[in-house]
Amino acid sequence: MDTRLKHLAEQLDAGLIARREFLRKAAVITGGTAAGLHALRGMAPAQAKTKLRVWLFKSFVTAGNDVLAKQVETWAKDKNVDVEMDWATFGDREQKFVAAIEAGNPPDLAEMNIWGPLRYKAALRDVSKMAGEVAKSKGGLLPFAERAMKSDGKFLGVARYSMTTVFFIRKDIMEAKGLKVPKVYDPDVVEFAKKAQDPAKDLYGFGQTLNRSDDGDGFMDNILWDYGGGVWDKDGKPALGTAFLKQNTAALQFAVDTIKKHGIQPPGVMGWTDVSNNESYMAGKLVTTNNGASLYFAMVSKKHELAPKTLCVLTPGGPAGSFVGSSCYNWAVFQKSQRAELAEDLILYLEDEKRFNEYLQVSVGQAGPVYKGRVDNPYWKSDPNFDAMLQNILRCVNLGHPGPMTTAAAEVRGQKILTDMAGRVVVGGLSAEAALKEAHARVEEVYKIRGKA
Amino acid sequence: MATVAPSPSPLPSGERVRVRGGFPVEAAVQPRVRLEVTLRRVLGPDYRMGFLFVAPIVVLVLALVAYPFCYAVYLSMTRKYVGMAPVWVGFENYVRLTYDGFFQRAAINSFIFTFASVGIKLVLGMGMALVLTSKIRFRSFWTGVLLIPWVAPTVVSALNFLWIFDYSLGVLNYLLVNVFGVLNRGVGWLSEPNTAMSSVIGVNVWRGFPFFGISFLAGMKAIPGELYEAAAVDGATVAQRFRYVTIPGIRNIMMIVILLSTIWTFNDFAIIYILTKGGPGGATMVLPVLTYEIAFGAQRLGEAIAVALYMLPPLAFVIIVLSNYMRKGRIR
Repeated sequence: MDTRLKHLAEQLDAGLIARREFLRKAAVITGGTAAGLHALRGMAPAQAKTKLRVWLFKSFVTAGNDVLAKQVETWAKDKNVDVEMDWATFGDREQKFVAAIEAGNPPDLAEMNIWGPLRYKAALRDVSKMAGEVAKSKGGLLPFAERAMKSDGKFLGVARYSMTTVFFIRKDIMEAKGLKVPKVYDPDVVEFAKKAQDPAKDLYGFGQTLNRSDDGDGFMDNILWDYGGGVWDKDGKPALGTAFLKQNTAALQFAVDTIKKHGIQPPGVMGWTDVSNNESYMAGKLVTTNNGASLYFAMVSKKHELAPKTLCVLTPGGPAGSFVGSSCYNWAVFQKSQRAELAEDLILYLEDEKRFNEYLQVSVGQAGPVYKGRVDNPYWKSDPNFDAMLQNILRCVNLGHPGPMTTAAAEVRGQKILTDMAGRVVVGGLSAEAALKEAHARVEEVYKIRGKA
Repeated sequence: MATVAPSPSPLPSGERVRVRGGFPVEAAVQPRVRLEVTLRRVLGPDYRMGFLFVAPIVVLVLALVAYPFCYAVYLSMTRKYVGMAPVWVGFENYVRLTYDGFFQRAAINSFIFTFASVGIKLVLGMGMALVLTSKIRFRSFWTGVLLIPWVAPTVVSALNFLWIFDYSLGVLNYLLVNVFGVLNRGVGWLSEPNTAMSSVIGVNVWRGFPFFGISFLAGMKAIPGELYEAAAVDGATVAQRFRYVTIPGIRNIMMIVILLSTIWTFNDFAIIYILTKGGPGGATMVLPVLTYEIAFGAQRLGEAIAVALYMLPPLAFVIIVLSNYMRKGRIR
């Protein structure tokens, strides 16, 4: 009972006030309270909602972007939160993160690529508890994803999906020429490309840039591993031009030979950007290329004539095996966030299997599994081309392989040292060994500096 | 030392012997008055008001130019990573850059890009101005058309050229091979070192020459027609009239345009970044793109600023020459 009413009742009992006086005062108190509550109820919607700043990754799979945005909006409505959504693309995400962190104004929550937690760890919140719970509920993380999300034993990102690359083949040309799916680059891909191409008709057997681009750097990492080499040794020390010099020389020479000797690549390939091979393949000017699922999505969603003529297979390998660099998109919460609990609630909402499955269904193979429980999703059997995507994810290795994933390894990738190295041979006239030694000096420099950090 | 004799004073008790530095107040006032007189004589009677008027702009310049610049100089002498506090390293970044072959190539490329671009723009701009001063039909129309590259946003122009230069899908190779039959096969405009550098220079020239042309045109229109008539009467040929009348007439404008364009071209980032990102193999890497790559690719902010500040001495030289020239012009 309201204390004021109780007090009135006591006064009435004690005969201090008349019954009429009691009724009058009680009416005033209850009426006033009711009117006040009514006014407050009317004012509540006008009050400022809690604001949450979220940066999402704008992938080339636009249908997935739409689903994700709708899910965030639905969550915001349910929780009565004002979500300020922004998008970061392949081209501008690093700039946006750097600018926001340095300005002391990062978002509360951001969708990052695999290097995000490593590169921005100084600004990110430890999300071990939630990441552990999410992983547990989905059968645990795949090993590459767990290693990528953890730094100094702490989870700095909640894994979401893996966007891998596969080897695209024009099935119609392959069948017409009676060719088999290549397993290794040398000699399989070379022979395949030579037999399948027709330069007179501007059709080339293989399209893989060695120019400064994510595609080029990813390929260079893979090919070094395929030949048993790499940039780093198992302890995470530079090995590009020392311990792995022999293997790396063979790998680099092969990569250069695809352009200079074998003549299986289009003449302008050293000027390509990340989208050039997509465009060339869709224009019918390439028989094979390495690319992410976004190329397949672009063809399927546009009902492109080459979509049914395309075969996605495992990335070819080399003498030491077939290696593919990992990918793990993830959610990271910034330390500066005043609404970390809200951000974590949104992550849990989006990573709920029902919601993730909704995203997966429109991803056309881009949202590959990072949790063991998502590997057996029937979706991966819904298209024969998805199997290569799944298998490539299951066998991928992290940046820095065979050593640990380090900030130095991320910086070498960020500086595009490997494609600069290839470019020095293709267009600079250096020998493969000289280019490797030149690049090794840059890697050593990065290692020394990052060691000091 | 002077002492204050107790004397009747209007001051309340206890404040009578107020001394400052051992001197009575009256004695301390003397130098202040003298200073005031000196200031008025040197700075003028309204110097206080003058300071008041100048103060806002001084504050703005200090806040928006001096402070960021000094902070940038400080950061260039630190090891600064994203999200981490800077660590003082002195001149380490500058020393390392000096001996870095990649940086050296970028510096050389910057000078090649700048001087080749400005040289070609000068010639084309002069040609444009001469054509537009001659008696051609639809002169206003052509003036407008030639200004389009200057007006169009750089990013849009660069993206268009990215498509134009594409080996397989670009219009340039299509025209050269399929339409005009000049070549048997296309050229990798952005994939070979020489053609890549030529291509980015070409785009910069395409974008920048209207500025030269319009500036020269304005200068040429200001030259009195009598000078040309007198020269013609004296038997000067067209080339001689150009050499001895036109060039001296637009010399001041020419100097300023060249110097401004040198600064802009040296700092040009968008064209090269969009077309080649400094590739292939660093063949078109220039200092502004290298700065960007180190800042956002390597995320070494201190070193990136050191690269940017390396550009300062040549640019400062150009700015000093420009300001001296303009000051001399004003005096004349």
